[in-house]
Amino acid sequence: MTDTPAHMPLSEPEDVVSRRVIIRAVGMQKVYQRGEEITYALRSIDVEVYTGEFIVVMGPSGSGKSTFFNMIGALDSPSKGRVFIDEVDVAQLTAEELAFLRCRKIGYIFQSYNLIQYMTALENVTTPMAFGGVMPDEARKRGMDLLDLVGLSDRWFHRPIEMSGGQQQRVAIARALANQPSILLCDEPTANLDHHTGDEILAILQRLNKERGVTVICATHDHRMMNICDRLMWIRDGNIERIARRDEVEVEVGSIE
Amino acid sequence: MKRIDVQNQPKLSSGRIFQIAVTGVKYRLFRAMVTVAVIVVAMAFLMNILTESLIKRAVADSVREQIEDLHRVDRWIARLSIPQSAEDILTQIAKAEWPSSYGEEISAMSGMSMDALKAMQPQAQEAVQYLRFFENLDYGRLRVLVGPVESTRIFERLQTERGWHQFSTSLADMRTVRLPLPLEQFQAFIEGWDQLDAFIDVVREGQTRAIEQVHEAIGDQPVVEALQDADGAFGQTIRAAGFALDPEEAASLVQEVRRMEQTLLIEGTINIHGVRQAVAAERDILPGDVTMPMIWRMVRSRDRAEWFLGVLQENQVDQGGLTPETLTMIARQRAHARLLAVAEQQTMEAGGGLMNIGTRMTWLAFVSMLVCAVGIANAMLMSVTERFREIATLKCLGALDAFIMTVFLIEAALLGLVGGLGGALAGFILAGTRMAVTFRSLLWQAFPWNEILVAGLLSIGVGMVLAAISAVYPSFRAARLAPMEAMRIE
Ligand SMILES: Nc1ncnc2c1ncn2[C@@H]1O[C@H](COP(=O)(O)OP(=O)(O)OP(=O)(O)O)[C@@H](O)[C@H]1O
Ligand SMILES: [Mg+2]
Repeated sequence: MTDTPAHMPLSEPEDVVSRRVIIRAVGMQKVYQRGEEITYALRSIDVEVYTGEFIVVMGPSGSGKSTFFNMIGALDSPSKGRVFIDEVDVAQLTAEELAFLRCRKIGYIFQSYNLIQYMTALENVTTPMAFGGVMPDEARKRGMDLLDLVGLSDRWFHRPIEMSGGQQQRVAIARALANQPSILLCDEPTANLDHHTGDEILAILQRLNKERGVTVICATHDHRMMNICDRLMWIRDGNIERIARRDEVEVEVGSIE
Repeated sequence: MKRIDVQNQPKLSSGRIFQIAVTGVKYRLFRAMVTVAVIVVAMAFLMNILTESLIKRAVADSVREQIEDLHRVDRWIARLSIPQSAEDILTQIAKAEWPSSYGEEISAMSGMSMDALKAMQPQAQEAVQYLRFFENLDYGRLRVLVGPVESTRIFERLQTERGWHQFSTSLADMRTVRLPLPLEQFQAFIEGWDQLDAFIDVVREGQTRAIEQVHEAIGDQPVVEALQDADGAFGQTIRAAGFALDPEEAASLVQEVRRMEQTLLIEGTINIHGVRQAVAAERDILPGDVTMPMIWRMVRSRDRAEWFLGVLQENQVDQGGLTPETLTMIARQRAHARLLAVAEQQTMEAGGGLMNIGTRMTWLAFVSMLVCAVGIANAMLMSVTERFREIATLKCLGALDAFIMTVFLIEAALLGLVGGLGGALAGFILAGTRMAVTFRSLLWQAFPWNEILVAGLLSIGVGMVLAAISAVYPSFRAARLAPMEAMRIE
């Protein structure tokens, strides 16, 4: 479904009619409790993400980025507050609907890859397709295309333990794209890649975002990301420290220089 | 711009689920070895008990007649010497199928009509039930209920007012003790006991008369000796007295009495100096070390038997009409009889319970199964727990809870299948070897192949079911959590 190539003014929405909120977090909080010890992974997050946006999330280690992803990706339930995906309260969804959402509408690239150890690269990529009801032959074909896209088609039969970190990461990326998701959540997708491969992955993400209108939210320490994103978000100690459009930040960077 | 409209995730076909499960198992089979090993041990234990008990029962069934034959002479000596006990009479009447040779015998001796005997059967059957009931009580309870009497004396005692009062009040206090029939019926039976008792007396009187008749005929001659003529005049005497002795039985009797005598004769030769020395020289040992079992073992071969009879001749010992063939046969039969004795003793508890393996064995199998269940549950719990991360990942990719549980169930069942198969085989080999050593030649003629196959399938089934059940809980726990919550458990 590519209605309009989503290239829109990159500012905060003045024009509410043309911009849809795809993810909305309201007062989102996550508390981990272990006995007496309480950790606030997220304190109170309010954020709106618009359809077709490319957002980069930055923040020091332990600031709550991964936790933030899990919440807005409907992989975990917040301790307080609500998450809406396309204006539907995630807490209201049934187990089947949640599975559908995770399978077809959201693609996840985990910081720790989370590949299935006993499956080959190709099987890892085709598993979400199988869950989505794609026939095996069709799934194989699409899976090979995706592996080709991330430059791993000659290694489709390798299992995760037989691959390097970067290769595993690329399999994870291919898997996230398996069912052509509307939202892509990437937790440090280029952390283990060399400069060149990293560039290629960034190009893929950018292309998906620009050509197919996929909403991309990306946690990273990679400054190249800043060049292709629409907005930047800084998280610190479980709070959003700042959200800014890229042009605003570029002005600052320029002024510093 | 991509829009999201949320629908229900479709269910996968069972074929696809199975395929995915098998992929996982194939990869993990080596790592699952520990789990499989636990199942193997558990199922081997169960299969071992089952196989051993089944073999014992089959051997018991197949040798029952041979054992009866073994005691044929003793039985006849007893029959020709004392009347039966009341309990034996009741038991035999109760299980008689008409026309019955036992019935004819009783009728001939006591002068009662067959119809009168038949009429007693229901009462006798009832009596046998009560006797079994009292027999199975432990001594303490029996003492409290009926005092220090046993067998049919119990019925006599219960006829007294005091006896019945003690019985009925004590029985009411014992919650776990149940009469086989309602108390009122038992009371009616006790009231009618006189009639049955009188009947038994008539039977016993008849038997006593018959025995007297036989003893008059043989005078002072011991019954064993007289039995040598069981197929001739003495047989006629026995029959005339009313005993049911068919010609075949008579022929076997004669033969066995002969064997007994010949056996005695051979056993006596060990005291003859010349024989002892000849055997010692032959075996190259001291005469003092020659034993009877040694001689019996020796004459099991025809050559040695011939040689031995030659030795007897040299020493001018009567050979009692023995030929090398008969001596060999007697020696072999003795070995067989010893084996039968082992079988008789080993198979005493066979019968009853699950698959007829005996109640004690059923209980043992049940307890072992409990232990196995705990072991398997633990192994499965660990193997599922270490895979919570995988479960979480699958959920992130859109797997339904039911899918995850099905995959784990199939996996567990497959592990159970492999483990059960290995266990059944191991248990079978173990028990089979042990039983082969115990029963030797008796085993093969009675080997219960079909039942052991059933037992094997049972073990495999139990292994699969136990493994599957043990996998249900942990996988259910993991599957219904939010993916990231599942990932945090470790
Ligand atoms: N299961 C947990 N139990 C307790 N505390 C947790 C748990 N998971 C995360 N935390 C805490 O929550 C905070 C946020 O963690 P999170 O993984 O979201 O950080 P992050 O920003 O992704 O860091 P990084 O850049 O290193 O990946 C951390 O302080 C962490 O210690
Ligand atoms: Mg993180």
